[in-house]
Amino acid sequence: MNKEDFYLRLVNIAINDTKLTELEQQLSNNDLDSAFETAHALKGVYSNLSLTPLTIPISEMVNLLRNKTDTDYSKLLNEEKTQFQFLCNL
Amino acid sequence: MQELLNRPKGLHRTVLIVDDELIEREMLGAILCDYYEIIYTDNGESALEIIKREKLTLSLVLLDLHIPKLDGFSLLKIIRSDSELWRIPVIMLTAEKEAEVESLQLGAADFITKPYDAPDVIRARVNHSIELAEDRIIILDTERDALTGLFNKEFFFEYARRMENQNNNMPMDAIVIDVNRFHIINELYGKDYADLILKRIGNSIHDLVTQVGGLACRSNSNCFGIYVPHIENYKVQLPMYISMIEKGLEDTRITIRMGVYLDEGQKIDLEQRFERAALVCRKIGSNYSTCYDVYNTALHTKELHSERLINDMDSALIEKQFKVFYQPKYSIKDNKPVFTSFEALVRWYHPEYGLITPDEFIVLFEDNGLIRQLDRYVWNEAAAQIRKWRDEFGFSIPVSVNVSRVDAFNPKLVETLKNIIENNGINNEDLLLEITESAYADNSQQIINTVVVLRDNGFKIEMDDFGSGYSSLNMLCSLPIDALKLDMKFVKNICNNQKDYRLVGIMTEIARLLEVPVIVEGVETEQQLKLLKEIGCDIIQGYYFSKPLPAEDITELIRKTVQGE
Repeated sequence: MNKEDFYLRLVNIAINDTKLTELEQQLSNNDLDSAFETAHALKGVYSNLSLTPLTIPISEMVNLLRNKTDTDYSKLLNEEKTQFQFLCNL
Repeated sequence: MQELLNRPKGLHRTVLIVDDELIEREMLGAILCDYYEIIYTDNGESALEIIKREKLTLSLVLLDLHIPKLDGFSLLKIIRSDSELWRIPVIMLTAEKEAEVESLQLGAADFITKPYDAPDVIRARVNHSIELAEDRIIILDTERDALTGLFNKEFFFEYARRMENQNNNMPMDAIVIDVNRFHIINELYGKDYADLILKRIGNSIHDLVTQVGGLACRSNSNCFGIYVPHIENYKVQLPMYISMIEKGLEDTRITIRMGVYLDEGQKIDLEQRFERAALVCRKIGSNYSTCYDVYNTALHTKELHSERLINDMDSALIEKQFKVFYQPKYSIKDNKPVFTSFEALVRWYHPEYGLITPDEFIVLFEDNGLIRQLDRYVWNEAAAQIRKWRDEFGFSIPVSVNVSRVDAFNPKLVETLKNIIENNGINNEDLLLEITESAYADNSQQIINTVVVLRDNGFKIEMDDFGSGYSSLNMLCSLPIDALKLDMKFVKNICNNQKDYRLVGIMTEIARLLEVPVIVEGVETEQQLKLLKEIGCDIIQGYYFSKPLPAEDITELIRKTVQGE
């Protein structure tokens, strides 16, 4: 397997991952600790795959969740979901 | 270290990647898989299991901070505190700046930040951490003594020197510790028990240096060295150190001894300080009443001086630096003292030290056997002088010479003496032989046999230093001698010590019993002479009549005496 195939395989794994849905659920339950863990993991994956449009909103969420900031995460989450959908449609 | 050595060359080291994110595991694995064997796992518990199982082959753990079941920090703490696992280096994987410091504080070898956007840096960090850990294992295993875990001698000196350079001249003492009668422990109880004892001593020494600061090593089988901050009051501190160490031996009867070189600002090399401490420790040796001693510069200077004298002896003999002096012995039986013979006494005119008296060098030469050469030198000189006087005055004047205990046991003694007599053309009875009483006590039968042979050959024997040895009365009766010469210490106090006066009387009686004359040396005053005469002593030697003089002065004395007659 060459580097490109390897990369595409990993991107495919990321696309089929359910963590973004989990994050949405945790936020709606106001479970900020779990949401932080999930967002943190997603940030790692997306940044490692250089998926910059996905990395920007999730990084912002991680920073807010680390401090357990009680705010409306829906805007950032929607942005993340839009970018994720965009990736899936590629 | 064995596992390192056992690894076939070229075989990849094994690295464990612990991360719950499949993508991150895969990415990291992809960066390293061409260089290392990779094991993957996604949680802390399974990672710990793998680490324990593969502890001998695992070269590195790459550990994510956020993992299920057992988080990264907890797992790191377990690895670092486990005596079997702590040698495996751990690199933490983190995207959080704050976690980096904590990782290092908990003992992580390094950290790698996410995302993994610089593969070359990751590989370099992994390689570096593995190398460092392997080097550390090699150093740890070679710097330590396997039995006690203390440093070995070479690393000890290396670290001590570094400590010395870094501690701004803080004074440090050198202490050498030895186990008393260790060879007996070894022989009686076997090597395993002896090793156990050394291990326990090693542990106690380790505790001691942990407490007071410093370093410790096992320098050879039963000898330890410690380098500790200077002790101000050693008479208080050293017994404390000893009891701290001996505490680990309470159920045994084993004791230790300490030789100490105190740092009092002397500028001498580290190894030399330990050598001197070891010297002190050896000196304590069999003296079980003392368990410690400190190095004394004056003592060392004296030892160096002694060593120098020993080394210089051969050239001194060749260059005739030894001069034979003669002290007259006077018969006091009649009213007017009459000289009867001389004692040959050696002096050393050292080119550097000047005049050295025999009490400085005779003991040294007796210890190492050189005294035989010196004895021969004096015997030859004395014999030649007897001949000279006979040629000049027409009669022989006997000269007594000392026969050291080493010579007294020499089977060729008679032959040697006969040769000297023959070479100088004098008679056997002209050379009186003084043998110290303590030589008789060492091995009475052998010395009696030697003396019997000497007397059979016509030599006269005087027992020297009588009263200072341990002759039994029984032996005295069977002793073949021609004169008893009293130890001069009895004469010293004869005027003011009634006991000494009576002892001289008793010894004179013994001489009467043996039917031999009594010679008393060390007579310095008229009063001493009077008392000795009163007791009935026969012959007197000492400063009262004459100090030891060079042969030419004695020749003059004889000339005057002969003319006076």
